[in-house]
Amino acid sequence: MKLVRHKKCIGIVVAAAVLFFAGGIYYARTRPVVLEFGMFTGSNWNVANANSFAIIDQAIARFEGEHPGVRVHYYSGVPKEEYSEWLSRKILAGEEPDVFMVLGSDFDQFSSIGIMKNLDELIQQDAGFDTEKYFQSALSTGKYGNAQYALPYETVPTLMFVNQTLLTKEGIKIPNTDWNWEEMYDICRLVTKDLDGDGMLDQFGICNYDWLDAVYSNGGEIFQSNGKTCYLAEDSVIESVKYIRQLNELYCGQKVAQEDFNGGNVAFMPLTFAEYRTYKTYPYKIKRYANFKWDCITMPAGREGGNVSQVDTLLMGISANTRKEELAWEFLKLLTYDEKIQTQIFSHSQGASVLRAVTQSAEMEEIVQAEMEEGETVISGKLLGQVIEEGYTAPQFKKYEQALALSDSEIGEILLNDKTIDSNMKILQRTINSYLQQ
Amino acid sequence: MSVKKEYYTDMFQWAMLAINGIAVAFLCTFIYVTTNRIRANYDARDFLGGVRTISGNPRTNLWLCLVLLGFLMVNFVFRHFLQMRNGRGGAVSLVAELLICVVIIYRLDFNYNGLLLLVFANVIAYVKDSKAKMAFLLLAIVGYLLADYELLSIYMPLFNMSDYVGYYTFTSQQWLFCIWNTMISLNIILFVGYCFSVINLQRGTIEEVNVLYHELQNANEQLSEYADMAEKMAQTNERNRLAREIHDTLGHSLTGIIAGLDACLALVDVAPQEVKKQLKLLADVSRDGMKDVRRSVSELRPDEMERLSLNASIRKMVTDMGKVSDTQIYFDAGGEKLEFGEDEENIIYRVIQESITNAVRHGHAGQIWVTMKRIDGEVLLEVKDDGIGCKELKSGFGTRHMKERIEMLGGTVSFDGQKGFKVTAHIPIRWGESYD
Repeated sequence: MKLVRHKKCIGIVVAAAVLFFAGGIYYARTRPVVLEFGMFTGSNWNVANANSFAIIDQAIARFEGEHPGVRVHYYSGVPKEEYSEWLSRKILAGEEPDVFMVLGSDFDQFSSIGIMKNLDELIQQDAGFDTEKYFQSALSTGKYGNAQYALPYETVPTLMFVNQTLLTKEGIKIPNTDWNWEEMYDICRLVTKDLDGDGMLDQFGICNYDWLDAVYSNGGEIFQSNGKTCYLAEDSVIESVKYIRQLNELYCGQKVAQEDFNGGNVAFMPLTFAEYRTYKTYPYKIKRYANFKWDCITMPAGREGGNVSQVDTLLMGISANTRKEELAWEFLKLLTYDEKIQTQIFSHSQGASVLRAVTQSAEMEEIVQAEMEEGETVISGKLLGQVIEEGYTAPQFKKYEQALALSDSEIGEILLNDKTIDSNMKILQRTINSYLQQ
Repeated sequence: MSVKKEYYTDMFQWAMLAINGIAVAFLCTFIYVTTNRIRANYDARDFLGGVRTISGNPRTNLWLCLVLLGFLMVNFVFRHFLQMRNGRGGAVSLVAELLICVVIIYRLDFNYNGLLLLVFANVIAYVKDSKAKMAFLLLAIVGYLLADYELLSIYMPLFNMSDYVGYYTFTSQQWLFCIWNTMISLNIILFVGYCFSVINLQRGTIEEVNVLYHELQNANEQLSEYADMAEKMAQTNERNRLAREIHDTLGHSLTGIIAGLDACLALVDVAPQEVKKQLKLLADVSRDGMKDVRRSVSELRPDEMERLSLNASIRKMVTDMGKVSDTQIYFDAGGEKLEFGEDEENIIYRVIQESITNAVRHGHAGQIWVTMKRIDGEVLLEVKDDGIGCKELKSGFGTRHMKERIEMLGGTVSFDGQKGFKVTAHIPIRWGESYD
C-alpha cells in the first residue's frame, strides 16, 4: 500500500518535470530571440551627427533578414556624455546588452572586471575572419593585455590642413608627406607677416597645433598604458613643448584662432577627419572656405619620431554574460567587418572605416567627393590609410580625460607665462603622477 | 542520557541551518539593495572604476539563492523527520544538500563559504564509522580553507562583498562588517560546538557498549559454570541410577543364586534329587537376571535404536552425518532383511558410527561407502572412504574399541589405510539363536 503510494508520487513528479521541460523547450523555440545592442546617440568625435542610427538600422535590417526569428533591439536616446553611466548601470544590474559600443575611457576598466567577452576564441574559430583586414592601429585599441576584447567600428585620424592658395602666393611648395618639424618651422617663419602694415600680424604659419600633436609626432608618450604613471618630464615631451614655444614666439604673443584659418590667413591647421567632414557638409561654412584652396598632408615628424598623429577609434564588444554568443559575434562582425556596412560610415558618419580595403577604396573617395564642392581636393584613400595605419593610439583609462585636461592647462600656463620648461615639467609630472595614483 | 546528548547535537544542526540561511539571505539581499542604490544614485561608473569585478545579475542571484535556501530547508526537514539517517534516502538527501550549497557558494562568488560547514556537519551526523567521521571532519576543514575567497580570488575574478560595503558611509560600513563577521563567527562557533557534541555523544556510546560487553561476558561465564554443574549432576544421577540398577537386578539375582548354590552345596550329598530341583530353580533365577540385565542395557541404547530398525537407524545416522559434514555417504545393506540381536545391533551401529566419524574427522573424506551383507552365516561389514588414509595405524582412533566390541561377538576386524581408509569386519551372528 505504502509502496504503491510511493510509486504514484514518483510518477506525478516525473510527469510534472517532463511537462515543465517540454513547456520550457516549446517556449524557448517559439519565442523570438532578441539581441540587445547598446549604442549612444550622436558622434563619438564631438561633432554634430544627424544620422547616427542610419548605419545601425541598415545593419539590423540585414541581420534580421539573414537570421529569421531574431530581432535586434537597441536603446536610443542615450547621449555620449551619459552613455558610460548608462552602460555601467546596466552592467551593475546584470542587464547589459549583448553587443555594445564601448568608450575608450571605459574599455580597460570593463575588460579588467570581466564585462567584455574575450574575443580571441571566437576569432580563432571563425575561419572566414581575418584580423589583417583591419588597420592594426585601430585593432590594437581593442586589446587589453594580450587579448582582443573589442573590435574597432569607426576610426578618426588627425590630418594637417594646408592652405594651398596662401603657400602658392608665398611661392612655397606644398611639403611632402615625410616632412619634419624644421621644414614646418621654416615655412611658418616665412609666412608670418604683417600684410596691411598696421603693426599687427595678420598672416600666420599655424593654428590649433598643440603640444600633444608634437609629442605624438616626436615618438613620445604621455601616460603609461595602465594609467598609473605619466611621462611628462621625458625628453621627447619636453622637446615637443619647447617646439611649441618656438612656434608661438613667431607670433609675438598674438593669438591665432580658427577664424584666421577660415579667413585664409593661416598656412597650417591640424584637423580630425571628422571635423574635416563636418566642416564641409555645413552649408553656412562653405562660404568661408570659398576664398582659398586647401589640401591635406601628414603631420610633420619630430626629431625622434615619424609623421604620426593620434588616431581615435570607436570600439564595440560583446558582453561576457551573453547567452547568444554566436548571434552576438555575427552581429558584431556585420557592424565592424562587413565591407558594405563599413562603407556606410563614409555616407552616414564622420569617421573612417576601420577596414583597409574600404578606407582605401575608390568608392570612399566618391562618397566623400559627393559631399564637397566641385573642384575641391579630396583626401586620397592612400593618404588616409597611411595616416590611420601609422597613427598613434593613446592609452585610455578612467582618469585619462581629467589627467589630460590638467596637464594641458598647466602646460598652457607654462607657455603663456614663459616659465622654465624643464623644471616645471618635472613638477607637473609629479603632480599628475600623484593624481593618477590616488 | 544519550537521548539528551542527541538532542543537543540536533539543536546545533538546526542552529547552523538557521544561521547559514540568514547569512546567505543577508548577503544576496545586501548585494541586490546596494546595486539598486548605486544605480538610483547614478554612481555606477564610479563604482565600477573601483572594483575588481561585480556580482552576476543581483536580482536573479537573490531569487535563485532564496529558492535554493528553501530547498535546503525542506531537504533538511525531510531528512530529519523521516529519520533518513541511514541508507540510500539519507545519502541522496545529503548529496542534494551538497549540490545546493555548492551552487549557492558559486553564485555568491565564494564570498560566503560557511555553508560547507553545514554540509559537513550533516555528513558527520550521517556517517556512523568513527574513522570516516574524523576523515570527513578533516575534509570539511580543508574544504572550508580551500573555498576561501581570498585564496580563490587570486586565480579567478570574484566580486568582493567589501567593494559593495565600501559604497556606504564609514559608520554604515562598520555596522555592516560587524553584522557580517558576527554571522561568520557564529557559524564557526556552532560548527565547533557541534563537533564537540558529536564527539561527546560518540564517547558516551562507546562507554555504554563497553559496559554492556562486560555484562555479557559475566553472564557467559556464569552460564558455562551452570552447564558444567548440570553435566556433573547428570553424570552423578546416571551413576546412581546404574548403581541402583546393578544392585536391583544383578545384585538381587546373584544374591539369590549364591544363596541357592550354598543350599545346593549343603544338599548335594544328602538329596541329589533336591539339588537338581534347586539348580533348575537357580537357572530360572539366572535367566530372569539375564532378562533384567538386557532390559537395563536396552535402556542405555541410543535413541534411534529405541524407535527404529538397525537399517533405518544406520540410514538416519548416515543422512544426518552427510548433512552435518558435507560428505557423500552411501549405505548398501544388500537385498535381504537381516535380523540381529540387540547387542549385535548395538555393536554394528557403534562400529559404523565410529568408522564414519574417523573417516570424516581424520581422513577428511569426500565420499564414504558403507556395505553390510551376509556371507556364509557371517556378516561382512565394510566402511571405505576416499580420504587421506594413514600409512601406519595409530591407536586412539577408536580402532581398539571397535576391535574389542567385535571380538565380544567373536568376530574379526582389519584396517587398511593405504588408499583412503577401509574397515573390514567379519561378525558371526547367532541367526535366530536365542539365550532364552
